[in-house]
Amino acid sequence: MTTIEGVAIATEHWLTTEPDLAGAHPARLESIGVRLPARRLSTDELMASTAHDTHIDLERLTGIHERRIVADGEDSLSLAVGAARDCLNRSRHRAGDLDMVINASISKYAGGYRQRLEPPLSLLVKQAIGAVDAVSFDISNACAGMLTGVFLLNDYIRRGEIERGMVVSGEAISQLGRNAARQVRSIMSRQLASLTLGDAGAAVIVERDGTGSSGITTAAFTTLAKHSRLCLAYPSRVGPGATMYTRARTIHKVAIDNVPTLLREALDRAGLDLADIDYFIPHQTSSRAIRTGTRALQDIFRQLPGEVVDNVELFGNTSSTTHFVALHRLLQEGRMHAGDRVLLLALASGLEIGVVVFTIDDQMEKSWVS
Amino acid sequence: MGVVVVGTGVARPTRSPLSHGARRLADAAARQCLVSAGYQPDSINMLVNVGVYRERGLGEPALAALIQQDVDANAGRIKRGEHGTFSFDVDNGACGALTGLDVVRGFLTSHAIHVGMVVGSDSAPGPLHVRALPRPESGAAILLGRDEGVVGLSAVRQRTYPEYAELLEGYWEWVDGAGRFPRRPGNRLVVLERRGFVDRAAQCAAEVTTDYLDDFGVPTESVDLLVATPGQTFADELADLLGIGRERTLHVGEQLGAMHTAQPIAAIDQARRTGRWAAARTILLVAAGSGITVTTALYRH
Repeated sequence: MTTIEGVAIATEHWLTTEPDLAGAHPARLESIGVRLPARRLSTDELMASTAHDTHIDLERLTGIHERRIVADGEDSLSLAVGAARDCLNRSRHRAGDLDMVINASISKYAGGYRQRLEPPLSLLVKQAIGAVDAVSFDISNACAGMLTGVFLLNDYIRRGEIERGMVVSGEAISQLGRNAARQVRSIMSRQLASLTLGDAGAAVIVERDGTGSSGITTAAFTTLAKHSRLCLAYPSRVGPGATMYTRARTIHKVAIDNVPTLLREALDRAGLDLADIDYFIPHQTSSRAIRTGTRALQDIFRQLPGEVVDNVELFGNTSSTTHFVALHRLLQEGRMHAGDRVLLLALASGLEIGVVVFTIDDQMEKSWVS
Repeated sequence: MGVVVVGTGVARPTRSPLSHGARRLADAAARQCLVSAGYQPDSINMLVNVGVYRERGLGEPALAALIQQDVDANAGRIKRGEHGTFSFDVDNGACGALTGLDVVRGFLTSHAIHVGMVVGSDSAPGPLHVRALPRPESGAAILLGRDEGVVGLSAVRQRTYPEYAELLEGYWEWVDGAGRFPRRPGNRLVVLERRGFVDRAAQCAAEVTTDYLDDFGVPTESVDLLVATPGQTFADELADLLGIGRERTLHVGEQLGAMHTAQPIAAIDQARRTGRWAAARTILLVAAGSGITVTTALYRH
């Protein structure tokens, strides 16, 4: 225990998270937006394009039937801007009301496959949507990028420094699959995971919770850096875009070994059981990984959340946007309702593990009713 | 309670090939920073990398995670009853250091962490890369903590001037190899600083800083030390525009002034080493970079 302004606070926890300080302003997810490219690429089509006879039944292995892919004229920036506009259309706020815009994508392509390093892509996004006075910067945290952005906004809002901000990401990453298709020879290839990737844009507005709803219950992150080199991506040598090298099985094993401990810690701090969660949305890599992860949770917790969400069949792994692509689908299909408690589990190269627990409120549910 | 600087470190490549590259320089700067502060690596609760030009253009993971592993900051097993480290990258060009400081300041203020580190470093391009702007490889690290008796670092103010975004750009792009000389196709790094960037950046910075000081009720006469980056010309022009005498402006010099994302931290390190940091009651930090983006903050002992 440590004492902060006369209040005893438990600090002996592995995850970095906000202490329950008096006077902190609770935050909520106010609006979610998504931009999906219209073009689809089936797993059959992708595997038919491989340069080598791989003998890999990727759909059976991963559960991915198809993914969305960008067409000419679409890139990370257009996906991010499209998602940001969708998010604002479902929000009570205008772009000018945003105090902060954080771009969290790994891919930062603007103008074709030109990967922007500086100025950061967030500058282009905020200009495009009209949030000209918002503080803007990019963060880079692999597939945990968007949830890391939510984690940062939660801190700024709880301290009262800002009222609301947007995290946005446009992932134009299907090109990694095309680059991998030229080099993958067998199921043991370290580029195999690249074949699961799909494109998507997503955005979320996080704001000070003045509604009295429960909003964000907890946001907690850590980096198990001993495993930082299990997934590495660089600009490609064989084609536009990037190439990614992944030890997917090792990552999965590390996750199975460590997620339950960290999940229990995050839930304990929130005063929740796993069974209190209505929708558990893990990072979306493959149906098989989600199934084995769920079995591990069942073995250790002896209980399960209401639903473990598997959204890979039609979208594949859309990197930093996966949680919000899954959320948008649940809301769009009318399966998610006000009062539902949602747990988002980030699992990303680094190895980054993060947990965000929040409650769907009336406004968010209604914003998706057509 | 204030957020204070408890250590800094700067690394430059030596003759050893093992001393080159953004990651190794970041590692060296982080270790030096820990030594200067007298802290162990495991004391770092948050590690933020703000370097933009990572070797080979690393896209993922965050470089901060690799640095965390290299310096062995809670990199191994989860230890019950102890605090781990959360690492990620903040990208905001040459303003990233102050943005990273603001992020870490926030988590220190909310007591989510006890100690946070910001690291900036940049690689030099490989022989096949196109780069119009020569910058030396460098790394710098700064460690922040809390002190009950000091005002410390204020919230960072940022403003952007996108109408000048083309004056400084950095990107990777695919080149098919077409051209006068036969070249292999590949992704190449391009960094362009166009004529007029420094003058325009100084004008933008003066505008932002004047408003910022007005909002805080701090007259320029009470600024004891101006730490302005990037480069000596920028610092001098800004000092003149603000009416702050050159004697109250940190002389960053040629070598330090050529650094990129590490420069604001390296400048703070220089101010600490020369005793000017400790001697000043009110320090004005200003960084300008691509965008044009301007970040500014006050540091008060």
